[in-house]
Amino acid sequence: MSENTPPTSHSTTTSPETSQLKIAEMEKAQSFSQIVFSQFKENKAALFGAFTIIFFVFVALGAPIIEWALGVDANTQNVFNRYKPPFSHIQASQDVREKEIENFIRRHPDAAEKIQTQLIAQNHVQPIRPEDALYEWINLESDKAIEIIEEIDTPFKNELINKVKNFNSYHIFGTDELGRDVLMRLVYGTQVSMGVGVLVALVSAFIGLLVGSMAGYYGGFIDTVLMRTTDALLSLPLLPVLVVIAAIDLQKIPFLNVITQYGNESIIKLVFILCLFSWMVVARLVRGSILSLREREFILAAKTLGATDFTIIVRHMFPNVIAPLLVAVTLGVGESILFEAALSFLGLGIQPPTPSWGNMLFNALELIYEAPFLAIIPGLLILLVVVSFNFLGDGLQDAIDPKSVKR
Amino acid sequence: MKKISLTLLATIVSALLITTSCTKKDSAGSASTETNRYSNNELKIGISQEFETFNPLISNMMATTYMSRMVLRGLTTINADGKWIPQLVKEVPSFENKKASIKKVNGKDRVVAEWEILDNATWGDGTPVTCADFDFATKVAASNNVSIPDKETYSQVEKISWDEKNPKKCTFTYDKVRWDFYMLGTFFPVPKHLEEPVFKKYGSQKEGYEKNSLYTKDPTNVGLYNGPYVVSRIQLGDHVTFIPNSKFYGEAPKIKKIIVKLIPNTGTLEANLRSGTIDLISTMGFALDQALAFEKKVKEEKLGYQVLFQPSTVYEHIDLNLDNPFLKDIKVRKALLYSINKDDLVNALFEGKQQPAIHLITPKDPWYTDDPSKVTLYKYNKREADRLLDEAGWKMGEDGFRTKDGKKLSFTIMTTAGNKTRELVQVYLQNQWKQVGIDVTAKNEPARVFFGETTRKRKFDSMALFAWVSSPESSPKVTLHSSKIPSAKNGYSGQNQMGWVNKKVDDLTTQLEAELDHSKRVSMVHEILKYYTDEVPVIPLYYRSDVAVIPTQMKGYRLTGHQFPETNDIEKWSLE
Amino acid sequence: MTTYIFRRIIQTVLLLIVLSYVCFNLMTLMPGDPIELMISSNPKITTEDVARLREFYGLDQPTYVRYKNWISTLLEGDLGYSRTYRIPVAEMIGPALKYTFILSMCSLILSLAIAIPLGIYCALRPNSKFDYIVNLLSFAGISAPSFWLGIVLIIVFSVKLGWLPAGGYQTTGLVYDNIFSEILDKAKYLILPVVSLSIQSIGRFSRFARSAMMEAMRNDYIRTARAKGLSENIVIWNHGFRNALIPLITIVTLSLSSVFSGALITETLFAYPGAGRLIYTSIISNDFNVAMVSFIISISMVLVMSLIADLLYGVADPRISYE
Repeated sequence: MSENTPPTSHSTTTSPETSQLKIAEMEKAQSFSQIVFSQFKENKAALFGAFTIIFFVFVALGAPIIEWALGVDANTQNVFNRYKPPFSHIQASQDVREKEIENFIRRHPDAAEKIQTQLIAQNHVQPIRPEDALYEWINLESDKAIEIIEEIDTPFKNELINKVKNFNSYHIFGTDELGRDVLMRLVYGTQVSMGVGVLVALVSAFIGLLVGSMAGYYGGFIDTVLMRTTDALLSLPLLPVLVVIAAIDLQKIPFLNVITQYGNESIIKLVFILCLFSWMVVARLVRGSILSLREREFILAAKTLGATDFTIIVRHMFPNVIAPLLVAVTLGVGESILFEAALSFLGLGIQPPTPSWGNMLFNALELIYEAPFLAIIPGLLILLVVVSFNFLGDGLQDAIDPKSVKR
Repeated sequence: MKKISLTLLATIVSALLITTSCTKKDSAGSASTETNRYSNNELKIGISQEFETFNPLISNMMATTYMSRMVLRGLTTINADGKWIPQLVKEVPSFENKKASIKKVNGKDRVVAEWEILDNATWGDGTPVTCADFDFATKVAASNNVSIPDKETYSQVEKISWDEKNPKKCTFTYDKVRWDFYMLGTFFPVPKHLEEPVFKKYGSQKEGYEKNSLYTKDPTNVGLYNGPYVVSRIQLGDHVTFIPNSKFYGEAPKIKKIIVKLIPNTGTLEANLRSGTIDLISTMGFALDQALAFEKKVKEEKLGYQVLFQPSTVYEHIDLNLDNPFLKDIKVRKALLYSINKDDLVNALFEGKQQPAIHLITPKDPWYTDDPSKVTLYKYNKREADRLLDEAGWKMGEDGFRTKDGKKLSFTIMTTAGNKTRELVQVYLQNQWKQVGIDVTAKNEPARVFFGETTRKRKFDSMALFAWVSSPESSPKVTLHSSKIPSAKNGYSGQNQMGWVNKKVDDLTTQLEAELDHSKRVSMVHEILKYYTDEVPVIPLYYRSDVAVIPTQMKGYRLTGHQFPETNDIEKWSLE
Repeated sequence: MTTYIFRRIIQTVLLLIVLSYVCFNLMTLMPGDPIELMISSNPKITTEDVARLREFYGLDQPTYVRYKNWISTLLEGDLGYSRTYRIPVAEMIGPALKYTFILSMCSLILSLAIAIPLGIYCALRPNSKFDYIVNLLSFAGISAPSFWLGIVLIIVFSVKLGWLPAGGYQTTGLVYDNIFSEILDKAKYLILPVVSLSIQSIGRFSRFARSAMMEAMRNDYIRTARAKGLSENIVIWNHGFRNALIPLITIVTLSLSSVFSGALITETLFAYPGAGRLIYTSIISNDFNVAMVSFIISISMVLVMSLIADLLYGVADPRISYE
């Protein structure tokens, strides 16, 4: 691209024929949403962003299915296999094994007794009490255990062999500080982190637009009240506010205790804090742009033509403030994913053992020397989400901004 | 699209490279290149906690205690073996050595003890330390205009008298008969010749003395200190520099300059150590997890450091709220204890460097016992837990949790948010209780809320996980006596947060305080422990260990594991 | 205009009083006042001790009375006494503010100097290879948590290479020969914290600059200016950049309002004795006087910067007026 070419969006590689086609297409009457959509889908980066976000949303919603499909769950601990690097095979812990045997005995008490007598008779195990024979057996090395059960006469031979084989689990991303599977924790962590990300994006955009545009458009008293409120929230020291919120017992508040019966108290507090503290920068940016737009000719024209305030703000002003808005909102996503983790240091985020990318990253920090992968993997996921939201934001900006539409 | 994914890939790969290379490259570390980094000329100690000015009457932060022992010495202290030893005095008075006796003074039986100050004990400016300095300290402490955090230390001594001819031989008259009269480890003298004018001038104003004390206004005045070192520079929030006190009464310190530097983030302590900003990490530094990881690296890479672990008097446990209807049943409490595998917990999470706890007395305490004939011990036994719960009527349901009368057996475990070790233990225990069908949910709070509100006012609904910091032979009355159950009536001042009421234990803890015979005290404590372990008002978890990192060539350094820090021996430290 | 400024200053003062009262209440509402913390850490404390200390600290009085007392001593010019460090607040907070100001300003200036040209350059060549690389680096900067970044910087530059000190603000115990060696020594300690702070803000600023500039360059008057045959430089700077300024003013004034409140994580990681850490400790340990003074400073910075932003909008776009 030479220095003097006026920069237009998506001017990179459009062959003459396709642009002919496009011009023809564009000359047809199109609704606003159609224009936005057709513009959007040409932006490859934006599509990449959108698909990544959709992918993570599916992962979040389908976490139990993924858990079922992989056969590894997020909460099984294995404390003697902590901090295993990615691509590790590990053996199940004693309590998992014994739980299996317990279930087996409960289901087939007679068969179990027979196996136990045989185990003792053949001198494979030497338990203190005869009913512990199976427990002793299950805690042997897998190969040895299989070898022994082969010699036992029981209709459940194959079931028991399968059990032993299943105790060997494979961990693509390794294990964490309690020997839990990192991949599954990341999958479940998607729920909280994407939830927080999307929530903050929507809330901050909505409140920010509302407050910013009202203040900017009407000015005067409304502006003073709204912007001083914004200033107040911006300048309020966060830490004491959070500690006070942490100390509030929602169950004691007559109206809110109804909600807490259904949901987790700390999640309600988390959502409240995120909503309360996410929108001020957006409001400031929107107001700044609207102040300048208010005096433009096309607004004056719209006013003269008798357009209502609502139409002017939504139809004529919003498309023009979208640029700074989207940057602030999309950058806020990454910040809020990390903010959620910081909150859990005050007991305000989600409670253990529920994972989130942010708290996985925080927890891995002190041991960055010993198990760097524990910090790197969630860190990269956060980066990927931030990149995706920003590309999506850029794409939306190009698509919505009336000035960038190629006509 | 291709371009994006390529650049993305590139950044990912480079990010991976950067981090792996910096972890790998560590092995070629700097330790081998500069083996002779240390000499007795200078030692830089890293601490991770804030400190205040050094006035011994007022200061109460841990880091200040740590440092003030370098410059200030008191009557007595506990050494690393757990024995009470004299510091500024010739010997610790006792009934056996006839330096203490019970006398009737003003119609009441009291302990009267004789403390004789060392002849060569002086302040840094050469003025001798005398009984008048101790007397002055008690006067200041008694003032209502001074905010002394622990008034009882000074108020238990009602009168200090001495003969003008020998101002070093002091007679202490105590407020009553107490066997622990000699435990004056935090009883410090204050230099009367320097501080009395300040107290006279400002003592009548509220907080006037502490605002104008020379410890605040002129902290580098050598006359304020009587320890092996004096302060040569103090910058709050950053560092303190110490140089030897030429007038010190004891052995001359070997290290010529000590800098204590505040490194607030424990994650960067290691980097600061390796890059030479500090030479030693004090007990207020590494978390256990970090120390374990660092110890491995020291071995692998043959670094010139030694990681020290010292079992301490800190007792991590879970207080059970005995008002909880489910927890009222002793079988449920026992089942909770039987179903947790403490041995695995300490071996897996702490690599055996912290011991599993059996009750509230810590192993180095002379009162400790693990004799099964004296206390009840609970070994991990899942089937026993199952049996107890079945007996108590809690039937296992299809979902893997137990129910009784349509109610699920479920509890809430609360602890301090942001404390990684506790959160880890919490999740580990949650999982173990799930195996026997008990549903336990976590609810964590910031330390301020947790200690300031929840445990203090017994607002936790069933379980609270935290630690008690005690010292050897300290009375368990505050945590076990039924009058110490926090309530609005007693201003929430007790620490029996369980709400445990046991008449026998009440009597025993009260008698214990007046019992003068050591072996009788021990058997009384063992009786208390028997009730404690039988009735399970608390789930003991583990005894914490102190950790420190020192250079290998360092000599004379010994961790104590109790509240009297290793700096009491600082004159013995050497790097050559 | 002057009446507008006058009105705004009055608003600011009123808001400052209201907010400081709110903060005072927040501090009292936090569970664990000094006495409560003492009770939980000192088992020996008796009921009488509790009452005595409560009265001593004035905690038995209602909040508004304590607020009134506090504000009247403040108006006398006495900032009070820090209960945590046991020295006057002014002695504690003065140096901390100075160190923090140096750190924040260095980082702010550095990041603006890099980010604005970078953002504009990208906006003029959107979707070019360079643009993608800058964008990706910006995203990486934004999503890298500052503590993570800090630790990696320390490992690489202090532990591995040994070029720069790992923490502190000057070589402890060093006596300087002259002012020049002092500046040189302190600058060495500033580099890592400034870089770690800047990497994040460079990402933010460059994204805002890019988007604002792109938006501005799409306006009709740019086409008109070009059609008039104005040189590209004039088009970019006089017509384009001037119109991109409004969002940038908002973002920069917002960043400026926190130059005294410090960067807690960076200061903690690099053991830098700044205000961020001091404020944090004072809140956690309930050091009322230190916390309240720092709240007043940071609140007034936000309010003043908000006013400055509004005035600058008028400079950037003369059509904006507030009458």
